Amino acid sequence: MRMIETKNVQLYYGDFHALKDISMQIESNTVTALIGPSGCGKSTYLRLFNRMNDLIDNVRIEGDVLVEGRDIYGKGLGMRIDELRKKVGMVFQKPNPFPKSIFENVAYGLRVNGIKNKDYIEERVETSLKQSALWNEVKDKLNKSAFELSGGQQQRLCIARALANEPSVLLMDEPASALDPISTAKIEELIYELKEKYTIIIVTHNMQQAGRVSDKTAFFYLGELIEYDTTPHIFTNPTDSRTQAYVTGRFG
Amino acid sequence: MKRAYRQFTERFIEGLLALSGTVTSLTVLLIVVFLFNEGLSLFGTSPLENKTALVVNESNPVQKLSAVSIKDIFDQKITNWKEVGGKDEDILIITVNDIGNYYSEEQIGAEFEHLPDCFSRLVDSLPNALAVINESYRTSYFKGHTIDVNKNNLPDFLSGKEWFPTAEPAVQLGVLPLILGTLMVSLLAILLALPIGLATAIYMAEIADERIRKVLKPVIELLAGIPSVVYGFFGLITIVPFIHDVFDLPVGETALAGSLVLAIMALPTIITVSEDAIRNTPRSMREASLALGANKWQTIQKVVLPYSMSGISAAAILGIGRAIGETMAVLMVTGNAAVMPKSILQPVRTIPATIAAELGEAPNGGVHYKALFALGCILFIITLIINIWVERISAKRKFKK
Amino acid sequence: MEKQTKQQIAFWIFRIFAWCVVALLLGILYFIFSRGWRTISWEFLTSIPEDGMTKGGIYPAIIGTLCLVGGSMIFAFPIGLLAGIYINEYAKDNWFKRFIKLMTNNLAGIPSIVFGLFGMALFVKKLNFGDSILAGSLTLGLLALPVVIRVTEEALLAVENSFRQGSLALGATKLQTIRKVVLPIATPNIITGLILAIGRVSGETAPILFTVAAYFLPQLPTSVFDQVMALPYHLYVISTSGTNITASRDMAYGTALVLVMIVLLLNLLANALRRYFSNRVKMN
Repeated sequence: MRMIETKNVQLYYGDFHALKDISMQIESNTVTALIGPSGCGKSTYLRLFNRMNDLIDNVRIEGDVLVEGRDIYGKGLGMRIDELRKKVGMVFQKPNPFPKSIFENVAYGLRVNGIKNKDYIEERVETSLKQSALWNEVKDKLNKSAFELSGGQQQRLCIARALANEPSVLLMDEPASALDPISTAKIEELIYELKEKYTIIIVTHNMQQAGRVSDKTAFFYLGELIEYDTTPHIFTNPTDSRTQAYVTGRFG
Repeated sequence: MKRAYRQFTERFIEGLLALSGTVTSLTVLLIVVFLFNEGLSLFGTSPLENKTALVVNESNPVQKLSAVSIKDIFDQKITNWKEVGGKDEDILIITVNDIGNYYSEEQIGAEFEHLPDCFSRLVDSLPNALAVINESYRTSYFKGHTIDVNKNNLPDFLSGKEWFPTAEPAVQLGVLPLILGTLMVSLLAILLALPIGLATAIYMAEIADERIRKVLKPVIELLAGIPSVVYGFFGLITIVPFIHDVFDLPVGETALAGSLVLAIMALPTIITVSEDAIRNTPRSMREASLALGANKWQTIQKVVLPYSMSGISAAAILGIGRAIGETMAVLMVTGNAAVMPKSILQPVRTIPATIAAELGEAPNGGVHYKALFALGCILFIITLIINIWVERISAKRKFKK
Repeated sequence: MEKQTKQQIAFWIFRIFAWCVVALLLGILYFIFSRGWRTISWEFLTSIPEDGMTKGGIYPAIIGTLCLVGGSMIFAFPIGLLAGIYINEYAKDNWFKRFIKLMTNNLAGIPSIVFGLFGMALFVKKLNFGDSILAGSLTLGLLALPVVIRVTEEALLAVENSFRQGSLALGATKLQTIRKVVLPIATPNIITGLILAIGRVSGETAPILFTVAAYFLPQLPTSVFDQVMALPYHLYVISTSGTNITASRDMAYGTALVLVMIVLLLNLLANALRRYFSNRVKMN
């Protein structure tokens, strides 16, 4: 099933042409890695799918972005921005838990989306924490501040927080770049497990990570999508010379 | 040689800089020393002004009176010795002005040389007399005993309900009405200014266009810089008559007028400080909230406001501190009646306004003068507490980041 | 739908509050301008008050305020600047620095009337300066001191550390680094902050009540031991306790407008300088 599709997307920050005519399709229950050098547009592209780019002034977007077949930027179809963001969860580069308790962090998305049923919220919090492999570590201190957790735990809390909304897509913007190797390994393991239920798009700087976790890889360069193919293909037999130069570490 | 010279210069300048840094600390210490030196010297002095003494007949059992009861006697609220622990007799007050009723000019003497004698005989003959005399009349052959008057002391000073520092013969130094007046005016001002200021800050930080904000910000900064006497003048011309008319009062100069003027003056500070606090909420917090499907208002409510709460409360406390210390504007619009405040529609008097209004008339070094410095001490302590409070809040904030 | 409606309602409430505040604040400015405008003339600014301060001008008060602002800045600016440099560049993070910072913050929070009391006790009485420009300037200077320190500190804090490291790495001493690299970068901010401090000082009334301000004094000062009239005190006097309050109303409006104009002009100047300097930095 096709989860996400972009057709001829152009994105401008003022005069700067940040995404150039990007067309891409992402299947459900896959992990797609977006790679490329800094400033290539991969994060901007990721932020198209939950309309995070809207927060920046002077952004202009052309073309179609479809999530589950619905045009999320079109006015007529009526998917509201907060419904979209509930459906498309996001995990950021640095762990950014709220200054609230662990429980309230995970319950936040449910509460802001109008869910009041206490039992249901408790159940969702537990499930989400289990899914993000954090439950055993925090089940006795759910009322403690989220800031008491380690960096890696905080990031898994942020994943749990996103999962609580039962999204269909999970966007991850370099989720492990601020973490130590052990925490990184845990996150990667998690991504592998989550693939069963979610469509995951991950931006990463780390070539090995892309190779380990993703099914497909897209290489971005200067705002263009250079190559998009299965991960083994990109890493072992890329069509474009720029892709080859990048994955072999000749620039980056 | 050159190098030694250079090193010396470096050291010298570093010393100079350290010295300048110390000056501020010294200033604060000097302020404390001067303020408290004058202010605390109030306690232990007698509330009787101008070397006055009170004398009564030998047979009178009353030995001691408080400043408050002396005032009540002279205001004729107390008319019988029984009420102050004496016999059941009416109190007869005799002052220099009354002495002519008892003795002829000849008896008193052309140069008033027999005045002490006249007082002595009079007090001796009238068992219910209370004479106000000059201390120097009290020679060894004076018949009658002096009434002890309680010295000015801290508990009476803080709990006294009457502020009448020019009362004769005993001054009344109760600061309770002034403290309550100050607190009433400033707290009401903040209650008015805080919600409005906070709403404006939220609007400017979160809702308004960048262009609108660029216009509003300088206007608000400008208003923060306008002298308080101009606000006082504005209040005097507009708010005072307005209150006078709307509530149909004898005078418009009331606590409410003071609070309104202070609220207007506090707005720019509250808006600026809260706006800064709100804008300091990390972008990542907002993004996390929005990415979970919260809308802007939910994000403000649940993430931005809790996060900036310490900054906002610092703004509120800072505002209270400023309001408590504000002098001119309050002096101009509150009517300055030193009575226990009962309603916001009555004139009140604040501590700073009292100092400003009375210091010019208080004789240097007198009880009144010292009492005003003691008021300064109270003000200093209140603002010190508030400063430390704000300090601790902002220290906590830094730690959180 | 519900949460969007809530947002709409909340935002409209904030909008209304904000615009009420702005209207109120602009209303005050308009009030002072519209009433004071008629009074202000060249003559008003350059002649002495007459007829029990119901006619004439405010020349002595303007001169008096200029003297006081000048005098207080001569005192506060060098000490404040040096202290700011010390705190930010030299002092190590120990008890002494924390003590100085704590004291500076406390000094900033002391009400202006307390400065008045202190100035009277120390300068007027103890040091026997009498009611004089000297006593008033020193009192106002103490009040301005924490403002100048804070301005300097913030300006220095805004200078990136890489500049300092760059200079030190080239073998410059700390003092040279501060003089040749740090201060030039911080100067624009220091100057704009200083202008705002001048605005604050020029409008203060309480500290000068008992240290310098004269009720009515139709001549100009000849030495620092003379009393002077001052604009804010003059406004206070003619609006509350003048010989004829109603008759001096126009004078009061005029004086209030002059005070507002001083603050307005200083603010505009500070903003213009800020813009000028930031453009220059960009060009370099």
